[in-house]
Amino acid sequence: MTAPQVEVLLQTLIAGLLLGGLYALIGIGMTLIMGVMKIINLAHGELMMVAMFIAYWLFTLLQIDPYVSVFIAAPVLFVIGVLLQKFLITPVLKVDSILPENQVILTVGIGMVLSNLATLLFKSDYRSVSVEYASQAWYLTDYWKDAPIELSLSFAWAVSFLIALVITAVLWFFLTKTDTGKSVRATAQDLHAALLMGVNVNRMRMLSFGIGAGLVGAAGCLFIPIYYLYPALGGQFTLIAFVITILGGLGSTVGAIIGGVILGIFESMTATYVGMGWAPVGRFVIFVAALIFLPGGVASLLRKRRVGK
Amino acid sequence: MERLRHLSVLVMVMAVLFAAEVFAAEPLRLAIPLPLTGGQAKFGEMMKRSYEMAAEEINAKGGVRGRKLALEFEDSSAKPEIARAIVEKLIDVKKQPIIIGEYTSACAKAVAAVAEERKTPYVVVASAADEITQQKYKYVFRMNPPNAHYSDGLMSYFKEVVKPATMAIIYESSDFGSSSAKDMVKNAERAGIRVLVNEKYEKGAVDFRPILSKVKAANPDVIFMVSYVMDAALLMRQIKELRVDARLFAGGAAGFDIPEFVDNAKDAAEYVVTATLWTPQLTFKGAREYAAKFKSKYGDFPSYHGASAYATVYVVKDALERAKNLTPDEIRAALKATKMETAFGPVQFADKEGFQNQNFTDTYVRQVIKGEHETIWPAAYATQKYIFPIPKWRERR
Repeated sequence: MTAPQVEVLLQTLIAGLLLGGLYALIGIGMTLIMGVMKIINLAHGELMMVAMFIAYWLFTLLQIDPYVSVFIAAPVLFVIGVLLQKFLITPVLKVDSILPENQVILTVGIGMVLSNLATLLFKSDYRSVSVEYASQAWYLTDYWKDAPIELSLSFAWAVSFLIALVITAVLWFFLTKTDTGKSVRATAQDLHAALLMGVNVNRMRMLSFGIGAGLVGAAGCLFIPIYYLYPALGGQFTLIAFVITILGGLGSTVGAIIGGVILGIFESMTATYVGMGWAPVGRFVIFVAALIFLPGGVASLLRKRRVGK
Repeated sequence: MERLRHLSVLVMVMAVLFAAEVFAAEPLRLAIPLPLTGGQAKFGEMMKRSYEMAAEEINAKGGVRGRKLALEFEDSSAKPEIARAIVEKLIDVKKQPIIIGEYTSACAKAVAAVAEERKTPYVVVASAADEITQQKYKYVFRMNPPNAHYSDGLMSYFKEVVKPATMAIIYESSDFGSSSAKDMVKNAERAGIRVLVNEKYEKGAVDFRPILSKVKAANPDVIFMVSYVMDAALLMRQIKELRVDARLFAGGAAGFDIPEFVDNAKDAAEYVVTATLWTPQLTFKGAREYAAKFKSKYGDFPSYHGASAYATVYVVKDALERAKNLTPDEIRAALKATKMETAFGPVQFADKEGFQNQNFTDTYVRQVIKGEHETIWPAAYATQKYIFPIPKWRERR
């Protein structure tokens, strides 16, 4: 391999890893809701869009940095998630319907309402926040004068990635070390047993939907400095989250993280070595492959390893 | 009794006369399909403002055939199926004898097909794909030059100034993007420029770094990009960040040519050149007046999209006044005979090079200098001297 080739490979890996970290954050929220509620939340991307609009207006009107908005938008989205669960999804859960999965269809409806509301309120213009650091980066040659290759690390992407990591770590701590977190996991694993053990299942459902929405809200704030915003952007991120959920194994947060990173790296690799137009195709190839060859997702591999020990 | 009858007859006559009077002053209604929502709304908005400006001026001077021109706008949000439905309604239900408007090539294609089928003239305002006027259509006219000529000015700038040997092309996988890239490959071949990378991307891409790293490794002299507005800004921002150095960054009009590009890309937009069909600094009759008026009203100079829309209203007025009557066929005949000067340049719908009813105008090059789009080429039209060579990213402060 020549130096330029190594440079392209490394730069692609960096891009894929950063993208994967952000993807993981989008995917975890969906996976959490999936695990506890047993439904795919197809309004996931639209919730992210709502958070992006919150971050956008906070920046435009009050000059609040999008990274600070994480701490405003995520709680707001948490509340929205809880309310959605309490007043829309729970009533539908109780009703017997022709379709067993009518809550999923409800989430599709919620997503449509959100994106059309955004269109009504803000027109479907494309917007972006023009933060000072949008195209700042660190360069390898700045630190190592005669490096044979030049690598760059985008400031905004790196910060977004790091915050995504921190949020994921906090979530992991919450789910494994706290009573409430354990109750959430118990509900996800076995609803009836959890009920018998005195877990307030309804509250856990509201909590998990709220957390799921809050996580994707945080992801929205992390995305806005590096991307742009328009009311219809939810759909593509819902799809990405869906692929990650399937790839990671339904309901597994660790699986979602690994799934997100795999997807990010795979997309970047496809873009570099096959063609950028193929990146979305690559996404669905992974999706179909996961369904066929790894029906349990990454989580099933993790479990096998554990049993092996 | 007798008198009453007389009176009633008189009233009837009066009423008929009065109705005729009202009828004569009945405004000429013209509904225009364009994208007012969605990703192309910025372009649609600029065009709408320009149409309105032209209509106001015309009405202030007595209208068209003594009738007021009343414009209405129908939002297609850049979706071909919606554009098609709008135009079907306009022709079949509202009996509108002429159609103008739309922006994206995909939409213009859909509208052109409907117009041809219904034998109603359609004037394309700013859609680029070559094939729109290559279908042997009788009723479809185009104001702006086709994609094949978009880069004429740019190619002459390459030849005279940049003298590149290699090129990379990155384009959006839309009708417009593919068409532009295809034409650029042909142009490059003719000019003896080797194309090292030729890649398309899907709209909405978040991360261009992988492909840009590849371009960086190939080290082309020129990077030619075809995008609508947000992708254009994102591409330049990431090029700056990866320090992809080239002798020239060139855009193929559209997203690189509107003020929003500089607003979104900020300093990464500096020195980028773009092919364009019109600039606010041109000296055609009425061009500078239109540009100044637009800027004072809306705060930004318009790009070629607006100028073409503005001039189209005048072209339509001219054709409607020359037409024997307001039937689609007579209007078509009048359009075909158009020969006039507009703010967009001279207009004449010719059949040549495999195009039908196509207007051919000069094309120009603009460069972002100190955050403003300046006309730099052809030299005869330049308002500022071009900046070449451009500094490397490392040296920029």
